[in-house]
Amino acid sequence: MTSDLGSGGSAPDFGLVAAGGRKGHDPAPDTAEAGNVPPVNPSVTALRRQFPDGVLRNRVCAGDQDVVHIDSGRVAEILRWLHETPDQHYDHLADVTAVDHGGGRPIEVVYQLWSIPQRSALRVKCELPLDALEIESVTGIWQGANWLEREVYDLFGVHFRGHPDLRRILMPENYAEGHPLRKDFPLRGRFSRAEQTRRALTQDPEDYYMPGEIGERTPQVVASGADDGDEAKASGAGAGGEGEADVL
Amino acid sequence: MGVANPGLPGAGTPAFLTTRLDFVVNWARRNSLWPMPFGTACCAIEMMASAASNFDLARFGMERMSFSPRQADVLICAGRVPYKLAPVLRRIWDQMMQPKWCISMGACASSGGVFDVYSMVQGIDTIVPVDVYIPGCPPRPEGLIYGLMMVQEKIRGESLADHAALRAEDPLGAGRPRAGDEEVADLTGPFGNSTDQNRVSGLVETGAIGRPEDRLP
Repeated sequence: MTSDLGSGGSAPDFGLVAAGGRKGHDPAPDTAEAGNVPPVNPSVTALRRQFPDGVLRNRVCAGDQDVVHIDSGRVAEILRWLHETPDQHYDHLADVTAVDHGGGRPIEVVYQLWSIPQRSALRVKCELPLDALEIESVTGIWQGANWLEREVYDLFGVHFRGHPDLRRILMPENYAEGHPLRKDFPLRGRFSRAEQTRRALTQDPEDYYMPGEIGERTPQVVASGADDGDEAKASGAGAGGEGEADVL
Repeated sequence: MGVANPGLPGAGTPAFLTTRLDFVVNWARRNSLWPMPFGTACCAIEMMASAASNFDLARFGMERMSFSPRQADVLICAGRVPYKLAPVLRRIWDQMMQPKWCISMGACASSGGVFDVYSMVQGIDTIVPVDVYIPGCPPRPEGLIYGLMMVQEKIRGESLADHAALRAEDPLGAGRPRAGDEEVADLTGPFGNSTDQNRVSGLVETGAIGRPEDRLP
């Protein structure tokens, strides 16, 4: 952990290294600290060289965790480069999450990447203003982003463009109180407890299963004339067809 | 069954007959309680410990944890229940056959516990009727055994004459909250440290039922 900067900023920001174009949301970084902490991960310099205007700033967090802030409009392009460039090869998307700092500040979407061959971690962040919570999905790059992005959508209300199945994953399907991890969300929800209880009990537990898991099971009795029922069985017994062996 | 109704004309000493019958029936019921374990959290670990050899629930007739609600007599809800799980709990309760009892094990099942938040049922008594509440976080196995023995005591006091009042179920109530709106508001009121939290923490005014005492000045 870097030294305590003691700045008067409202958000804790440890060892911020300012580089490139900054967006004026965060408190100003300690200029004496700027540039003093070189990135641990060589991917950061490569990323800066490849996307000089896509990377907004980077810093080192918690000793050796590189954090790169990127332009939210180019997230798919930059992450695809990180995924597919042989020198980078970030083939494991460990987590997608988001942070709401409150006070009208933008929501940060966080991608935690891990490269299995390089054994290196990289944290990529991009900021979304509260009135435009929309970002490109990375499910085309990592299949595993599917549920992670659903979780971010469920709890923060970030819409992922191009997601194949963007719906709630943790909260009930009929949940109508908003996105609970936002800072402006009341701790106990927006509805009264009675309303919440009533709404909860209108759910059907079977909604949580895939259609194939319940409902149509494979029939155990293989019969040719399913509709005829007993008559078909009786006639089949008389005829002694080969279908009888399946029934018994 | 005629003996279940003490008001039958011609029954000479109905009180004597029903009390003897009550004794036999209650003795049978209370010594063969099959629990339906509904374990969702750490309380379930203690429930498992209660059934294991050190504490040995089978001594009291809870011989077999019945993992099907259809054969179970007492529902043990051990652990926190989120709203997403509430319809499942209610359906399991509806599937159990009469006579049936319910134990709310631990602080979370009984009152929501420390989880006084948007996603958690504030006491399962808003959803199903509860006979015995066991305090603790989690309760020791002795606590669960004591709670089960309290259910046994409750059964000992029951009478077949009250059968209709005790055991009648309204089919329309299946899948619905047990408590009405006012009762839910009473039951789910803030407990403990949560009185210091404001209900509406953000800028958005909500349509929630106003609880002025919940708001910070």
